[in-house]
Amino acid sequence: MKIDPISPADLLASSSRRAFLRGIPVVTVGAVSLPAAALAAPSGAHWGMLVDVRKCIGCQACTIACINENDVPEGSFRTIVSTYSVKQNDQAGQPAGTYVLPRLCNHCDNPPCVPVCPVGATFKRADGLVLVDGDRCVGCGYCVLACPYDARFINHQTGKADKCTFCGHRLEAGLLPACVETCVGGARIFGDLNDPKGELRLRMNAASEQLKVLKPELGTKPNVYYIGLDERFQGKVEGQGALWQSKTQGV
Amino acid sequence: MNPTIVETVNVVRDVAWLPWAVQYFFLIGLSYGAFVVSLPGIVWRRSGWIGISRVALLVALICGLSAPVALLADLHQPGRSYHFYLHFTPSSWMSWGSFFIPVYVGALMLYAWLAWRPLLAQQALQGGLSPRLAWLCRLLGGSGSQSRGALLVAAALAFVGASLVALYTGMEVMAVRAIPLWHTPLLPLLFVVTALAGGIGLTLLLQRLAGPPSADDTARLSRALALTQGAALVIGVVWLLLGFSGLSPIHAQALAQLAPSAAWKVAGLWAAGSTALTLWLALRHPGSGLLIGLLAVHSAWLMRWTILIGGQQVPKTGAGFYPYQLPLGFDGLLGIVGTAGLWVFLFIAITTLLPLTRLTRKAA
Repeated sequence: MKIDPISPADLLASSSRRAFLRGIPVVTVGAVSLPAAALAAPSGAHWGMLVDVRKCIGCQACTIACINENDVPEGSFRTIVSTYSVKQNDQAGQPAGTYVLPRLCNHCDNPPCVPVCPVGATFKRADGLVLVDGDRCVGCGYCVLACPYDARFINHQTGKADKCTFCGHRLEAGLLPACVETCVGGARIFGDLNDPKGELRLRMNAASEQLKVLKPELGTKPNVYYIGLDERFQGKVEGQGALWQSKTQGV
Repeated sequence: MNPTIVETVNVVRDVAWLPWAVQYFFLIGLSYGAFVVSLPGIVWRRSGWIGISRVALLVALICGLSAPVALLADLHQPGRSYHFYLHFTPSSWMSWGSFFIPVYVGALMLYAWLAWRPLLAQQALQGGLSPRLAWLCRLLGGSGSQSRGALLVAAALAFVGASLVALYTGMEVMAVRAIPLWHTPLLPLLFVVTALAGGIGLTLLLQRLAGPPSADDTARLSRALALTQGAALVIGVVWLLLGFSGLSPIHAQALAQLAPSAAWKVAGLWAAGSTALTLWLALRHPGSGLLIGLLAVHSAWLMRWTILIGGQQVPKTGAGFYPYQLPLGFDGLLGIVGTAGLWVFLFIAITTLLPLTRLTRKAA
């Protein structure tokens, strides 16, 4: 039987969890015959993510996978699935429903966190990743305040600004971000926005009418897109505050 | 459609700018505010302002020296503060500030030294100091002659530094578009006005500490304080009008975010009430220097606390408000007490050489 090997670049470009799992037997055969250099990210890649809210079940597997992968301290989160109870008051007798919204750094093309950094520790890489140079960061917290998505925080173990990196270290090894790989419902699709044949682009094209980003009015040009994003949750949510708080808040 | 949304799971972000930052904005504000009050008597030699301006200069110097320490402590990596000078980033107001602060504080120290040289020389001769302190006074005071040209140059440099510090501290906060409460051109103005008020207020308090102040001095400072309080009220009214009318979307957004909170309503009423009370007292009872001084200092601090800490309690995406309780350790109460302790130490150190009574002595 002839097996057509797929390259890791193609794998990254077509990278929902299911596609990834489907590709494992093929890439296992193919990887042994590929030179190490071929595992590098494709040149000219611009990484992005599509979150299909309709498929998210709010299990927080992504949250935990991220914490484990990136050694995120207790009480802090690089990604979380915000969960809301939504009740329609004009529909008596109908129980409240649940709305879930995975949140993470949007790796904006116009990131407000970058220009405010007083020492140039926060930067945007050519492949689209917005990162923090931990050797340079002074922990002033200015970028944390400037981020309109509350995606950054001061890591109390390191004393530096911390955030989602799209698991850049895993990308370099030809792997998917931990949250994508662990997503139970296949709600997170990761890939190269510049690859017209990649699954990310194909899914985005197929759902172009429904594509939304968070806070589009700010002009930050996020690279995390959503399908099924209710407009009431696109900006700051108007509602009652969180019932659950992290342990470090003393509650 | 009338949905009721309750957030059941979401992240709670800690404040990134700690109470140290509030202390910095408070102290540096009081410093440049008091520096302005030092100009009429020392630079322009306005009669009736000599004693006031000398005390104001003391306020400016002590606050100016203690403020950068609070700023340094607010960094989560204070040992890397030299990175500000290795990696200048012109797009960041904070980066500019790291250069403005030493310009201002350095010029302020020079200005204070030049202004106080005659007093230091007098103190060395007549102060009844211990031999070591008298030697130090003689060293600092020299012949006691004042170089008018050098003083004016130092004052001009300090004025430029103070203006740049006032500009950057306001712009640094205003530049944060993600927090609508901060992203208003009125905020830098409010910082400046309350800084002036705080500087005047602390000058009034220290004058009282030196003994019963002259009614004329208190009246002069009361009039100046009334002006600042009037300006603060006007800015507050303009802010509210812009928010309620919807003429400015960012003000309307900030108002919509804060209006549901009872704590914010209380804070707003408290700030407006104390400002109006200070204004009324300053106009009707200009002799109540101690009370209006305390009120002005309290308002300057409260305004910064409410805006800086309160602004960080508004989630940018989530619902409701983030909870905040002042920690008792170094990242909370201890920071506030620590900066106050540093202030007291500097006050004792400087007034040991140059007592308040000598600064306020008219014949000096």
